[in-house]
Amino acid sequence: MNNAPIYLDYAATSPVDPVVAEEMSACLMEGGPFANAASTHAAGRAAKRVIDEARDRIGALINASGDRLVFTSGATEANNLALQGVLRRDDGPGHMITTRIEHRSVLDTAAALEAADVAVTYLECDACGIVAPEQVAEALRPETRLVSMMQVNNEIGSVQAIESVAAICRDAGVPLHVDAAQGAGKVPLDVTGLKLDLCSLTAHKINGPKGIGALYVRSGLEIEPMIRGGEAALGARAGTLPTHQIAGFGKACEVAAQRNESEELARLREQLWQGLAGITGVRRQGDPARSAPHILSVSFPGVEGESLRFALADIAVSAGSACTSSDPMPSHVLRSLGLSDALAESTLRFGVGRFTTEAEISTAVERIGVEVGRLRSVGAGAPDWCSS
Amino acid sequence: MNYSSEVRQRFLAPARAGTIPSDAGDVVDGVAEDRSLKIWVRFQLQVYGTTIERVRYQLYGCPHSLAAADLLACELEGKSVNALSNIDLERLAGQIDLPREKLGRLLRIEDALAICYAQVVAEERE
Repeated sequence: MNNAPIYLDYAATSPVDPVVAEEMSACLMEGGPFANAASTHAAGRAAKRVIDEARDRIGALINASGDRLVFTSGATEANNLALQGVLRRDDGPGHMITTRIEHRSVLDTAAALEAADVAVTYLECDACGIVAPEQVAEALRPETRLVSMMQVNNEIGSVQAIESVAAICRDAGVPLHVDAAQGAGKVPLDVTGLKLDLCSLTAHKINGPKGIGALYVRSGLEIEPMIRGGEAALGARAGTLPTHQIAGFGKACEVAAQRNESEELARLREQLWQGLAGITGVRRQGDPARSAPHILSVSFPGVEGESLRFALADIAVSAGSACTSSDPMPSHVLRSLGLSDALAESTLRFGVGRFTTEAEISTAVERIGVEVGRLRSVGAGAPDWCSS
Repeated sequence: MNYSSEVRQRFLAPARAGTIPSDAGDVVDGVAEDRSLKIWVRFQLQVYGTTIERVRYQLYGCPHSLAAADLLACELEGKSVNALSNIDLERLAGQIDLPREKLGRLLRIEDALAICYAQVVAEERE
């Protein structure tokens, strides 16, 4: 009997696909392309070929040139590099626009830039987690130097109107950075068609390895590096390239493009929702019509959040985002939707993925129903603030 | 967060969660809550003479709060009503390995029992 928790936290991370692991493993040892890709000898060139092929695969997923990818340790670093790379250039402090529901890697970086006299406008979302593109147009100033917006919100899965925002930024001549960490491989993104300036990617959300991501940088856009030390990719990030990580990243992108799992993920997500919807009073966060296929955010009124998570210790899910679930404060995203603290803390984020099965979903639905019912029974008679 | 075995056991199988039927006699009732601490608790005590015969509680709160309420409910059954004015919160906190930042939740539990005690005293005077 498998006693491992049921894993429904694919928005946090995903297991490496076996074909990806195989691709990575081939790069690690003697006999494989283990050499430093910056070296000019044959072994180095062999490693470089692996990396170049991975670039093409990654670029193909987002319709971008692989040559314009700066490899990073993940989307967090890519987001940092995008914001700091643009705003810390010697053009004066300036102004940037972002939203209240960005990933903490964007918000915390924006806050640090504010402390360095960069003005930041934070746009609000509606009750479904959608930021109206018109807000971007209204917030633009002569000194605006960057707009940063996530393609898919990591907590509730809301898909932003990137096409509209891109058009607004193009017309204004302001660079647009899109955090595609959660959306790449699941929600189409045409970086070249939309003429995006910067785009953050990560491998571990699409069954690739942790520890590798990339920042796409449009040709002609120069950014200030954060990590210096000899020759740097596109002048933006020094360091020996991890061939095995990049190979894995590339393979993960290739597999994601080939499998085109969005429909299947949405089907599993809806199976989960249909099961949970049978629990009295549950509330789905976000607009299903504008939601990434793999994320489902559900609030369970009348059940205290910590107790709910403890009761469901056999199901791997997130309260809010993975990055903040150890934080006792309610999620900033859920607060931006207008949820009360109590409701925000009794909200769970489910993420389905490549290896999620219908049986797991059925079991999870049953377990959740039992525990929610039990905890509500213990707290029967609790006042309205516990449920709203 | 790590939970002690006491908390785990009482959270998963609370012994005294529930209510005393409305037609049962000699029941006192105490409610306390603190929204900022995410706790609401209601105790019902059935008291015969000066003895606490039966204790039940309802609670919205964290696993530590639930365990504390359950532990107290079990301990108070069969005790003199005077035990209600003598709750040893420090001992209770130690029994459930309570994180210090959650101490306020025990105070709310104590408040609910204090309300019950006040009702018992008021009824004795009548």
